[in-house]
Amino acid sequence: MTHLVQAIALGLLIGGVYALMASGLTLIFGVMRIINIAQGAFLILVAMLTWWLWHETGIDPILASVVTTPLMFGFGWVAYRLLLSRIRGSSASMSVLLTFGFALVIEGVLNITAGNKFKSATPSYFEESFRVGAISLPKAQVFGFLAAMAVLAALYFVLTRTWTGRAIRAATQNPSGAALVGVGATGTAALAFAIGSATTGVGGSILSVLYPFFPASHYDWISRLLGIVVLGGMGSLPGALVGAGILGLAETLTATYGSLNWSTLVFYIVIMVVLLIRPQGLFGAKLREDTV
Amino acid sequence: MSRLRALPRAHLIAGLCLVVLVLYPVVNPWQPYPQGVMLLAFLLAIQASSWNIISGYAGYISLGHSMFLGLGSYTVGVLAVRFGVNPLWVAPLGGVTAVIIAVLIGSVVLRTRGHAFVIITIAMLLAAQIFAVNLKSITQGSDGITLELPFWDRDFQNIPFYYVYLILLVLTVLFSAWIRRTKFGTGLVAIREDEGKAASIGVNTTRFKIVAYAASSFFIGMAGGVYAYYLSFINPVGSFAILGSVTIVLATLTGGRGTLYGPVIGAFIVQVVSEAATVYGGGSQSRVLLFGLALMVVVLFLPKGLLPTIEAWWRRRHPEEVEYTDQTGALSRAPATTTERVRAELAAVNAEDAIAPGEILLDVRGVSKRFGGLTAVDNAGLTVRKGTITALIGPNGSGKTTLFNLISGGMAADSGEIWFDGRRIDGMRPWRRGHLGLGRTYQVTRLFKEMTVQENVVAPLPDSRWRTMFSDAVGGHEAARARELLDIVGLGRFANQPAGALSYGQQKLVELAQVLMLEPKLILLDEPAGGVNPSLLGQLTEVIRELNRSGVTFLIVEHNIPLVLDLCDPVVVFSHGAPIAEGPPERIRTDPLVLDAYLGDDWRPAEDGAADEGAGESDRTETATREAVQ
Repeated sequence: MTHLVQAIALGLLIGGVYALMASGLTLIFGVMRIINIAQGAFLILVAMLTWWLWHETGIDPILASVVTTPLMFGFGWVAYRLLLSRIRGSSASMSVLLTFGFALVIEGVLNITAGNKFKSATPSYFEESFRVGAISLPKAQVFGFLAAMAVLAALYFVLTRTWTGRAIRAATQNPSGAALVGVGATGTAALAFAIGSATTGVGGSILSVLYPFFPASHYDWISRLLGIVVLGGMGSLPGALVGAGILGLAETLTATYGSLNWSTLVFYIVIMVVLLIRPQGLFGAKLREDTV
Repeated sequence: MSRLRALPRAHLIAGLCLVVLVLYPVVNPWQPYPQGVMLLAFLLAIQASSWNIISGYAGYISLGHSMFLGLGSYTVGVLAVRFGVNPLWVAPLGGVTAVIIAVLIGSVVLRTRGHAFVIITIAMLLAAQIFAVNLKSITQGSDGITLELPFWDRDFQNIPFYYVYLILLVLTVLFSAWIRRTKFGTGLVAIREDEGKAASIGVNTTRFKIVAYAASSFFIGMAGGVYAYYLSFINPVGSFAILGSVTIVLATLTGGRGTLYGPVIGAFIVQVVSEAATVYGGGSQSRVLLFGLALMVVVLFLPKGLLPTIEAWWRRRHPEEVEYTDQTGALSRAPATTTERVRAELAAVNAEDAIAPGEILLDVRGVSKRFGGLTAVDNAGLTVRKGTITALIGPNGSGKTTLFNLISGGMAADSGEIWFDGRRIDGMRPWRRGHLGLGRTYQVTRLFKEMTVQENVVAPLPDSRWRTMFSDAVGGHEAARARELLDIVGLGRFANQPAGALSYGQQKLVELAQVLMLEPKLILLDEPAGGVNPSLLGQLTEVIRELNRSGVTFLIVEHNIPLVLDLCDPVVVFSHGAPIAEGPPERIRTDPLVLDAYLGDDWRPAEDGAADEGAGESDRTETATREAVQ
């Protein structure tokens, strides 16, 4: 019983972090119908940066996101303006290929600059835990979860309570309608891409503490995050939250009752089962086909 | 015609290249290094050509395609070690494994449209790697599997592998060429261009995509089996490498996605450049960076690939005069015999029906469709009797096109039943309805613009038989039939032009020919006269009348009231999502309800009806001409 509660608690903590990481991806997809395969590489890039900051200055890795988040915001904005805006209007598959190429470039650059070795930021609280009754919650997980929740709340606030957020949501739902009322498509898209990238600022910082990583780790991460997005329904933020929770639980439960080796695979199986029953994902809307 | 002339030339060059490649080891047998590079280029070309079937023809990108190479390698590796057979004999089983896995994945992910597929392909590649690492009892985990060394004398080096791969490559290209020639291939391109439209002309998109995915995996799986023998050692990381997928994508994209020879050309370029980079440019460490940069450059600056770019350049240099606006040409009629034959066919299809003329063919019962707060179709009932040309008129936004979408299956109704030809069809997928003999055209034409006019008309499938699916689309019966249908609508001379180059009115006629390919019992026409100039319009109404005489029933949405009153009987008037009146045209034009809701005061019988009608008509035709000019 304790095992189960422990696994569920851990699963939800990890799920919260996954939710943050996937939210940026689903936001970008929702607004631009772009699947940003480079999102995983962004995460690893931030993790590297965080690790380096921590290693050089001793600054707390999770706190380092105060630096990395605006950095990634700018990075995303520039990337959109320089690269993705050039293929606006061509098919969605081209954006997949472009961001895939971008991910490889980031991986390649990291390979050369940072080396092909596993790294992990280990702050002082790395091996400590909070004890709640019989279960123990590692401090790093708790801090990561809290940071993720704070950012998700901020993101939710921006999307629902500010003009910028309304513009982004308007562009998500009806691009041409949004353009008519003064919401420029390119500007909004760049903004959404920048915000989506900025979420990796916190996500990557948390990652650097919770998981060992090396340049090629981004494949594992992007496939997990994309899995979450497909499971929840492409472009749906609530879907990303639920999908992330399911991934977190699937991983910790498999690790507790089975073997860690199979945990990712269990998640993929969950996705396939869900897609078998609901091809559009849990919260996904069926594409409406129109004649005009 | 330029295509016809260019095609054999391309095959000729390909044949010459093949002869050179066959002779190369004979001429220069003591150079293992260039042979090795060529051999790997063959392997990449096999993979790129195969990938091109699902991701080039059908447009569904797979980023995990190297998984099939690994699956083939492991199938053969495990079997060879377990049962002590030579890997070459069991290599085809590698292809079989690949096909089975592709069908399994495809039947889960390819049922819907959209982006889940590309994502799942990456996930499955990684999942395959996890399996290979953890299923130690079968795969020996991370230690990998060591295979026996080739049985031939060392003096032969890798020459046998060279030829095995060359044969596999030739087979793959022939296979790909054959697919592209069949209606299956035409359907795949149709899916890439407009999947919803493809479904409405009888293309079973789910089945087509799954078969395409399976077809794109077989030769890779087989090549993977041979590759295991060639390497004589396989492990999870090497066999399921994502970088392998990258090279496949890069090769096809560079050469030209969706073309026959593009992937092969691209494979040779990528293999040679990558080899050069390894030798001269800092070793394999920088390979990831190099591939990433190359992929980005190709997507940004050469999105169509080398072959299509060169082709386009050639066509610009050697332009070909086509008189698109030549009215006499456009309106030239088919020989009477052709028209007769098609009419007889349609008459036969419609005569064998259980439903007699005058009875109900289409029955819409209490159907509703809401979009959020807007009820577009509100508990609507509508019957279309066999043999009629029924009109559906009403103001803009009254739900006519939505009703069409519900009938043809583009959208699902929220409630109500739709019966066609004695069967309930509202739960059926669009292509099933097409196979039953229900065809439609669109308000804004939805032709497959990158296909030729001829291909557009060949694409529809009148039934769900596999034989039809794999029948020849370029020559033979289907192509001849498409030509006849094009002659009937008077556009035979444009058969080899890209559909996107035709005028709007001509596109409407092509769309009608496309529907006729379905051997339809009922044709839904959505504003057939919109944007069509008067002479083409005359042509169109004549075609409709002729087809109707052969037994084809029509349901027409149209705003050109004189045309409707002239052509159709009965006329149904729609307003606010439901019919408000139905009857013969004479009664409808004087019905006070209809005058209030739609026709307006111009049609009030109190005034001079005849003069008014004339004025209305010239007005209409003026608008039509103007639109056609635009």
